[in-house]
Amino acid sequence: MSSSVLQRIAGGDSAAVRECIDQYGPLVWSIARRLSRTPSDAEDAAQEIFLDIWRSASRFDASQGSDKVFIAMIARRRLIDRLRKTSAEPPMDPVEVLDTVVWADPGTASETSIEAEQAARALAELRPEHRQVLELGLLHGLSQSEIAARLSMPLGTVKSFMRRGLIKVRELMNVDAEGVLSEG
Amino acid sequence: MSDTRPQGQPDEAVVDLAIKQVTEGLSPAEQRALDVMDSELASAYLRDLERAAAAVTLAGSAGEEPLPAALSARIAEQAAEHFASSSMVTDLSEARTPAAKAGVRPSPAPARANRFGNYGWLAAAACLVLAIFGWEHSPPPPVAVATPAPVTVPSPEKPAPQPEKPLPPTVAEERAALLAKTDSLKIPLGASKDPAAIGVTGDVVWDPATQRGFLHFAGLAPNDPAMHQYQIWIFDAGRDKRYPVDGGVFDVPADASDVIIPIRASLMVRKPAAFAVTLEKPGGVVVSGREHVIALGQAG
Repeated sequence: MSSSVLQRIAGGDSAAVRECIDQYGPLVWSIARRLSRTPSDAEDAAQEIFLDIWRSASRFDASQGSDKVFIAMIARRRLIDRLRKTSAEPPMDPVEVLDTVVWADPGTASETSIEAEQAARALAELRPEHRQVLELGLLHGLSQSEIAARLSMPLGTVKSFMRRGLIKVRELMNVDAEGVLSEG
Repeated sequence: MSDTRPQGQPDEAVVDLAIKQVTEGLSPAEQRALDVMDSELASAYLRDLERAAAAVTLAGSAGEEPLPAALSARIAEQAAEHFASSSMVTDLSEARTPAAKAGVRPSPAPARANRFGNYGWLAAAACLVLAIFGWEHSPPPPVAVATPAPVTVPSPEKPAPQPEKPLPPTVAEERAALLAKTDSLKIPLGASKDPAAIGVTGDVVWDPATQRGFLHFAGLAPNDPAMHQYQIWIFDAGRDKRYPVDGGVFDVPADASDVIIPIRASLMVRKPAAFAVTLEKPGGVVVSGREHVIALGQAG
């Protein structure tokens, strides 16, 4: 079985570093752009994210998920931390950027990653208002309070929607993982 | 009252904090609350939620933008420096370093996700930096960081061997070369009142042109990497002073008296204003709580 690019980096394959940048650079850049205040912030964030990736490659466990989800997790951690440092305003005006979100189609998302497919299926089962809260929080970096203000929705409702949405995705991913294990 | 929680789900308070952590991060107080509630179940739950949030992010990132070419090149350069530094440090025990070669080696043991213990922070040290920089407290995310090992400084008079094929320079030689450059910054480091800093002397040399530099310490207390690690910070006058640039983490072994540590700036430092060393949790932090400031040196 071929090793993932992260496993190859951890194993000392210098060619894998370039490959990782080429393969996952667009993903990191897309997430960084969306969760940063300015293009300059996004550039700094992208550099920090890749540094985190080099430092964390040896921790990657293919049995726990794909390279892509591992990298998205690292990117989110770093970007959330950066957002917290400058929390005076959200990264961008979500009204302007909502249209820029291109959700993966549940039928074809497996081309992106198994996890994206699972998430897309879970999202498709959510009520639109739940999905909107997840979108504003996870894709645009708005805090729950900011979402409440943006949607003129009680904070408790936002928390509840966020919670239901995330737990739904988590459950579906775990069910799928257990299904794969039981089939094996 | 019976517990009606679904199997495998921690209590409500942990769920709320875990969701907040993966969506917007926690305040220091919330982080401390989660630390107190921390358990194997809570950690596993948090990991699952983080994975779910990442998966939603992937599902919403179907229209990826290409990485700008200039940024891609900078990231590649940074990777080369990172791995060169890692392999350079690895080879320090051999006294020779392939500084010019960008090799890749596996990251050292990952940072443990354990929390800070009660260490007896000294307010004086924190005040020292607060007074100068006004650092702001914020919770660090768990990020694994490569850990350079310091080297014992060889005698400066010791002549370098002259083999047929030139060997790469040692870290001490590289530092000496930077010290000899007229345009490099040489900054003495002042020790704080932290217990780990007692009797410490040190300095920094930094080359703005190549973005390379070294810390040199004598008398820095050995650390237990499973409990804490030293972390380097560079204050850039061109950036928000509350958020210094991470210069990497390092350990001081028990038998080291003099150590030289290569600085690995995670970002371009345009106008270095000061350098600091703090003691942090294993793996380092993204933003220091400044409780354990060990040493500080200001440029100019």
